[in-house]
Amino acid sequence: MDRRKVLQQTGLLAGASILMPSMVSLFQSCETVNRSDWKPLFFNVEESHTISTLLDMILPRTETLGALDVKADIFIDKVFAETYDKTRQENIRAEITAFNANCKKKLGTIFIGLSEADRNKVLQEAEATSEKFNPGVWGTSVGKQKTIGFYRSIKSMAIWAYFTSEEIGEKVLNYDPNPGSYEPCKPLSEVDNRSSL
Amino acid sequence: MANFNIDAKKNMVYDAIVIGSGISGGWAAKELCEKGLKTLVLERGRIVEHLVDYPTMNLDPWDMELRGGLTPDEKDKHYKNIRSGWVGKNTEHFWADDAANPYTEKKPFLWLRGHQMGGKSLLWGKQTYRWSDLDFEANAKDGNGVDWPIRYKDIEPWYTYVEKFAGISGEALNLPQLPDSHFLPPMELNCVEKHVKGRIEKEFLGRNMTIGRVAHLTQPHNGRGQCQYRNRCNRGCPFGAYFSSNAVTLPPANATGNLTIRPYSIVQSLIYDEAKKKVTGVRIIDSETNEAIEYFSKIVFVNASALSTTQILMNSKSNRFENGLGNDSGELGHNLMDHTYRVGAMGKVDGFDDKYYKGRRPNGIYIPRYVNIDEKSKSDKFVRGFGFQGGGFRGGNPANIESFGADYKDSILKPGPWEFFITGFAECLPYHDNQISLNNDVLDKWGQPTLTIDAEFKVNEKALNKQIQEDAIEMLQKVGLKDIIGFDNEHPPGYGVHEMGTARMGRDPKTSVLNGFNQVHTAKNVFVTDGACMTSSSCVNPSLTYMAITARAANHAVSELKKLNI
Repeated sequence: MDRRKVLQQTGLLAGASILMPSMVSLFQSCETVNRSDWKPLFFNVEESHTISTLLDMILPRTETLGALDVKADIFIDKVFAETYDKTRQENIRAEITAFNANCKKKLGTIFIGLSEADRNKVLQEAEATSEKFNPGVWGTSVGKQKTIGFYRSIKSMAIWAYFTSEEIGEKVLNYDPNPGSYEPCKPLSEVDNRSSL
Repeated sequence: MANFNIDAKKNMVYDAIVIGSGISGGWAAKELCEKGLKTLVLERGRIVEHLVDYPTMNLDPWDMELRGGLTPDEKDKHYKNIRSGWVGKNTEHFWADDAANPYTEKKPFLWLRGHQMGGKSLLWGKQTYRWSDLDFEANAKDGNGVDWPIRYKDIEPWYTYVEKFAGISGEALNLPQLPDSHFLPPMELNCVEKHVKGRIEKEFLGRNMTIGRVAHLTQPHNGRGQCQYRNRCNRGCPFGAYFSSNAVTLPPANATGNLTIRPYSIVQSLIYDEAKKKVTGVRIIDSETNEAIEYFSKIVFVNASALSTTQILMNSKSNRFENGLGNDSGELGHNLMDHTYRVGAMGKVDGFDDKYYKGRRPNGIYIPRYVNIDEKSKSDKFVRGFGFQGGGFRGGNPANIESFGADYKDSILKPGPWEFFITGFAECLPYHDNQISLNNDVLDKWGQPTLTIDAEFKVNEKALNKQIQEDAIEMLQKVGLKDIIGFDNEHPPGYGVHEMGTARMGRDPKTSVLNGFNQVHTAKNVFVTDGACMTSSSCVNPSLTYMAITARAANHAVSELKKLNI
């Protein structure tokens, strides 16, 4: 299927908002931008839907909010627009294009046009084959870091955007801005989720 | 807190001038003011008043528009600093403007600067350790560099003096190579660190692991609050729980009524009077108006941070001192040192999955030096030694887990696996050819010559680093960690942010710049007590020694003034 046909079928060329299963009737009261009014600062239509779809697959809504519920995609668009210089912007754009070109070559169409099963296959393959982050110490990674590819970079950004959103950071994770003391060996059962700060 | 007196217009003449208000400058100001000297502190940057000027101290990530991210313009402004990995929106305002203050790296060197009242005392690591005679005798024993003009007994009372005021928490170990401070109660090790400590001390005779000794209060002290375990120190602490000039030394200096602090004052040079054979004042440039102004005083403390201090001395040329003030020896600008950085090992820890911790402790573990401390521990591969910092925490990078979707998402809301790391800090020898020089081809925003830095780690430091990594891996293996990664990021000097040397103390004016009381040999009313004065680098963090050496020099200065010797 060619790119144009996919965009037509998914309603993108008409400017209508694409509705993924968990994107229906999103809870949107927390931030100023309503998803229906979102005009990406950096992404074009195809790019934004590629990223939104990826994020929704990596961190879907469960009993807790998902990545799209906390507008992680809208935030990532802003990060690319406002913190990346031209070179990095061109690079990330080229990576999204290459990701879609690869989907098309192997499975016949760009990512958002694929069936759910095929999209899962794409992510499973990316998980199995892509490089991983070295651990970090005090702000820098240790050892020689291999280049992290598009998929795991986006996954990492998605987690960052998700964990640092107010909804997750304050209400889902263990939010303790002023602990007051250090308790060095606490039963995990008394703490539950990871610390958000 | 009372506002600071920043009006330096009424009075051009003072008893003392202190250049810089960081860790050592703040101490100099406090000691001199408390001893009754009318003191002018010249600060290159703006006033940063405790609490008032900590705009990010309570911000959560979502309170910042880009959650801590910097725009390309902000990154350009900090194009050097940013290599450290520490510069974000939460601290950006405390890091110097690299674009306005360029320097040239003949060899790679990261020069981190904090151009504001308090300097890098707002940003430092707070690790505070006494040096020992192992350090003060090292040059004399192995013949590298020149002998220190002081020994531990000379500085010991001054360690005690500054510790009691600053508040240092830690555990006494009674080790000769790492003397104990006057400690507030230590912070606690978490359960993984306790486990690792037990194994290391059992498997390796002579090695100890302890909680970091730090300038963080673990109980209220001198009117300051104790650490609340937020680990947001670098934004400025609302409780004044860590040592900074802003929270600790400058307020009491101000309370004496003897302090004037003039912001936006770039010291261009010291004024040397050929007839009186001493320095009579300083020339400054107001960084906002570009106005050139002269201030006069009986004594001058130069505490601009190691390299900036030496830059000022080098720029202070006169008929008597054609190559920079006090530079008869030709050693001014030479013997630059820093600790090696980011060499060690990391691994995963099994068996503590049901344990976590509450609070974010701004501290880790410390493994004191254990090589070349006596005949038994002597290495045939290198001289001097290293210590380790590190820690255990629940980390893991959820992006690395080969999974996605509903179960994955729910799983990463839980704490990740326990990890433990140690990273070494090795001593760097004083090499004459590790040096800085004035660069008249690259000028700063105010038309002043900048610095060219030409320094590198050499064979001995590389041998130390090799040993650090081997030992780190071996220790973590013996402890039983999994997935151990050894690392050496091969950072050039500067990353340790322990710049030392370039105006060293020594016994002989022919081979050193300063005497045993930090006076310029040939201009005895000038004192240098920041990193520039250091004769060797030890392997332990130097800031506590700067504090002690400064208080000692200030005491000497006032005593010499009273005797009319200077």
